[in-house]
Amino acid sequence: MKYIFVLGVTALLFVSCRKEASTTPGTDPVDSLNQTILYMGSFVNGPWGSVSGQARVLRSSNGTLSLALVNVNISNGPDLYVYLSKEIQPINFISLGKLRSTSGNQVYDIPGTPDFTQYKYALIHCQQYNHLFGSATLVQ
Amino acid sequence: MKWTSIILVAFISTSVPAQEVKELPRTNRFADFTATIGASQQTLAASYVYNWRVGKKRKFELGLGVRNTAYFGVKKDFWTAPADVARGSSVPFIVVVSEQKTENWDTLTVQRPFTNSLNLSANFGYHISRKLYAGFNIDLIGFTVGRTGSAIFTSNGTTRTEPEAKPVPFNLLLTGDLDLGSLNSEFFLYYHLNKLWSVKGVYQFMFVEYKTTNVKQVAPDGTVVDRFRNKANNGGIGVAYHF
Repeated sequence: MKYIFVLGVTALLFVSCRKEASTTPGTDPVDSLNQTILYMGSFVNGPWGSVSGQARVLRSSNGTLSLALVNVNISNGPDLYVYLSKEIQPINFISLGKLRSTSGNQVYDIPGTPDFTQYKYALIHCQQYNHLFGSATLVQ
Repeated sequence: MKWTSIILVAFISTSVPAQEVKELPRTNRFADFTATIGASQQTLAASYVYNWRVGKKRKFELGLGVRNTAYFGVKKDFWTAPADVARGSSVPFIVVVSEQKTENWDTLTVQRPFTNSLNLSANFGYHISRKLYAGFNIDLIGFTVGRTGSAIFTSNGTTRTEPEAKPVPFNLLLTGDLDLGSLNSEFFLYYHLNKLWSVKGVYQFMFVEYKTTNVKQVAPDGTVVDRFRNKANNGGIGVAYHF
């Protein structure tokens, strides 16, 4: 019985622990000369966290799109993701992946060519608990 | 000589004292606790089993039980569940071997699934030796309660948040993808430590189903789907107390 109990406790710990984003500031280049800023916006806090800094949609010389988080500072949390969203709450969205760092400069590839008149929000979202940490409205 | 032999055999057979035949009991009743683990998912199960021993040597067992299975995981993918959308056939038993229509499958990623199912189970087993007992059990019918939580619904490249994914409440074994709800099954091997206690190893195959509230899949034929299934393959250990 002792071993069953130990296994059960271990299983619960396994479920409850989720890795948070790194606190080491990101150092991705966001001001390269061969990149054009298409849209940008400043982050405002969501109901569950705090996010400051800027979001920029960049187009490189070869046409690929990316979202740059510039000088961001994000309160840490579990399972944070970066989204491009049609709504300020992530109802219809494109996931750009897990947030790599809670501060600094970071660049995330944007798949395809989304219509930015529809996908006009950059979001920092805690996926596991469905909590919005912050949003930026992207304008030209 | 022939008659002498017959008389001798008859005499010997009647004069030998009756052999003491130690028969196995007619029933096997036990309470069983099992923990399993798989990829980002675990289960804990408690059951009571009432088996009848059958066969000439009473080595086979079959019976019924009641099993409570708690399933919990993190970021588990649930796929389109209804057999008429997900498989090539929705005929009982044939559905098990029918083709998988993966092009019709959408994905519901439930962030923190947790279900608690109470089911009637069927149990089958065979006593390999005095110490070893192997077999199979499967849930038949029951109910599930669990956590309502957020999920990410992915369909043809579009992604939506489903904030209110909840477990399918009714469970029923109908074979393969026709099944409804959360159903546990195990291939097991018990080792009897003594008359009262035994330990076991299991391979578990479990269906867990969640349904969406706000976001629905629309299949190519227009069928609206709100039921999604995770098929969990886990390994585990357990202990049983025999009454």
